Amino acid sequence: MDENKTIELEMGAGGKKSEELISNIRKVLSVKGKWKNTKDDGAVFDLGRDAINCVSTKQNNLVFTTDAFIIDPLFFSGGDIGKIAICGTINDLSVMGARPIGLSLSIVIEEGFPESDLRKIIQSIQEISKKENVPIVTGDTKVTEKGKIDKIEITTSGVGIAKKIISNDGAKVGDVIIASGDLGEHAVALLSKRFNYQTKIKSDCQSLTREIQSVEKFLTSAKDPTRGGTAAVLNEMSEKSKTKFILEEKTLPFKKETVAISELLGIDVFSFPSEGRFMATVSKNNSQKVIKILQKYNAGAKIIGEVEKGNGVWLKTKIGSIKKIEVPRGKLIPRIC
Amino acid sequence: MKYKKILKNIQEKAKIIRRPIRLMELCGTHSETIAKYGIKNILPKNIKMISGPGCPVCVADQSDVDIITGLALSGIPIACYGDSANIPGNLGSLENARQQGAEIYIVYDISEALKISKKNPDLIFWGIGFETTAPMTAWGIQNGLKVFSSHKIFPPAMRALLRNNKIKIDGFINPGHVSVIIGAEIYKKFKIPQVVAGFSATDVIKAIDMLLDQITKKEKKVENEYARLVQKEGNKKAQKLISKVFEAKNARWRGLGEIKNSGLKIKKKYKNQDAEFIHRELIAKIKKNIKNKPSVCHCGEVLQGIIEPKNCPLFRKVCTPDNPQGACMVSREGSCNVEYRYG
Amino acid sequence: MFADKIGMCLAIPGKIIKIKNQLAIVDFQGMKKEINISLISAKIGDYVMVHAGFAIEKMDKDNAKEIKAYLKNEV
Repeated sequence: MDENKTIELEMGAGGKKSEELISNIRKVLSVKGKWKNTKDDGAVFDLGRDAINCVSTKQNNLVFTTDAFIIDPLFFSGGDIGKIAICGTINDLSVMGARPIGLSLSIVIEEGFPESDLRKIIQSIQEISKKENVPIVTGDTKVTEKGKIDKIEITTSGVGIAKKIISNDGAKVGDVIIASGDLGEHAVALLSKRFNYQTKIKSDCQSLTREIQSVEKFLTSAKDPTRGGTAAVLNEMSEKSKTKFILEEKTLPFKKETVAISELLGIDVFSFPSEGRFMATVSKNNSQKVIKILQKYNAGAKIIGEVEKGNGVWLKTKIGSIKKIEVPRGKLIPRIC
Repeated sequence: MKYKKILKNIQEKAKIIRRPIRLMELCGTHSETIAKYGIKNILPKNIKMISGPGCPVCVADQSDVDIITGLALSGIPIACYGDSANIPGNLGSLENARQQGAEIYIVYDISEALKISKKNPDLIFWGIGFETTAPMTAWGIQNGLKVFSSHKIFPPAMRALLRNNKIKIDGFINPGHVSVIIGAEIYKKFKIPQVVAGFSATDVIKAIDMLLDQITKKEKKVENEYARLVQKEGNKKAQKLISKVFEAKNARWRGLGEIKNSGLKIKKKYKNQDAEFIHRELIAKIKKNIKNKPSVCHCGEVLQGIIEPKNCPLFRKVCTPDNPQGACMVSREGSCNVEYRYG
Repeated sequence: MFADKIGMCLAIPGKIIKIKNQLAIVDFQGMKKEINISLISAKIGDYVMVHAGFAIEKMDKDNAKEIKAYLKNEV
């Protein structure tokens, strides 16, 4: 890291600059222990080998993940920072094939923050925790002087147990690419509130545990398109599996409102994050079965493309040309998850 | 499919014409459409699209960037539209000034700036853009907003391009929204094939087809592909508002140099809202202290279509959207930025 | 900080659904926003093109069908 450089907002937005920042941090942190980290959102510890007595020997992977939430606005259509803080961590475990067994909750609050707002946030956390039967098992709460942070910051960590890890690097040539529903609606909810648009679109923020469990045995790879959106996630999946992803513009799962606000604000729709969707690859043979199951949870689940030999993420446009979808760069959407 | 038919027409005309054809899209949003739908990839080999100077951020003059950044660093609160905060100047950009503690507000429309100025009466709005944003700035001034005007008007730049012998262009796709304000008739004075076009993929390929049609027939006229919106005479109300508040002045364009009567200056009547008047001493001081840093950025040639972004030695190497060296990489509609994202 | 459309032109028109003096609520494909309409003469139901918070022109009425088809196919 350069001595004179300062941290820029974009380094946290999920694009190319975030990747660079994270890799710079990782370079310094050299102790690896017996944890495996494939650059998925969580780290994996093989319990079968090291802690057989902890849990049943059939389920032998411990998955550990953590996430900090600094969103603006705190309350939005379809959720709030509390809901997103819990769902985000549950989903990071779920997309790796893990059953969440417990979460931690740390809150930093700015002096002067309304207690009623805090109560609402905690209540949303309780709702998801109860619905998903995932307990909050430990936590920490701090208060800072006014102006030292912006209102509230929440960090959650979670552990889960997985029989088989679903990674984001398993796409095979011939697989199809699946979206579990319409994409980008979390971004739509936040952006419309920030920029005074009225819309009936709500954030897609939700726990993905059941959806993923219902199809996990068919998935060759999976990942949730949060920060950096569809573009970042599909590029990651394609790069790690050393395959080429081809999408069909006509079948892309963006609602007309989503496309409209992306146009209105000049932000690439492929960088819009979702907080309750996942993208996955499955073999062609299983694809109809998987879509049928997923559509029980979300009518918008569909096949959006295919995995081929080669590299990169490509889009067949409606006028018949082919163009590359790059990892988002430049100005993105800060403080959205 | 509609596209297929138009594309087939383009193929046929390109075959008849045979020689290489260079068409310039003048508006940055057209460059964005061309890139977004991969239009360059499906055009015949002898048809080349070149991006013109129609991105307001890209053509902003360096000395304007330095003045506004200088004002911000002297403690004057500044409001501006998003991309303009990132144009690098000799004193850095407004965004850099913000990181150093200057008060910078990014607004999406002028009413937001007006709201801020009610609480913050020293606020200066940086007016940037062509005939499309000048009416809004004029409205802001009429409602009491203080402004530093870098506004420019478009037709004089087209004349300058046509006069430059280094630039060989066979036809223009004229800007959509600029034309909404100034009308389609005004372009008749330029003797070159021109089509005013909308911003969808169909609009743009239709416009290309119409230009090739003129070229095969050896015609040089103005056609209006965007008739669903653009009137012959333009928007009279908006034109009136511009001329009430602004008067023409000579202005410098990045790449094109000084062009006569191509800028908009705030009229004397509103001098107490004109940053150039209010802060004249401070501005003189800023100008005096500016030392032009040498730059190898080829923005100027890119803006005139003399070279393509990829011919610039900085492109993709030192100069990226994360780390723009010149204005063409800053704006989403700048040709380097567009080429970077979709190229 | 945002990627902004400063001078950038929108490709999609919006429909006026409410007018109050110089301000109108304009619906862009389900995203509604308050827009200044002082630069045009418009009524409820008109499709308008918006630039930096202002309606700059209304769509030619004879083309209403074309506009709807456009919204369906292009956006």
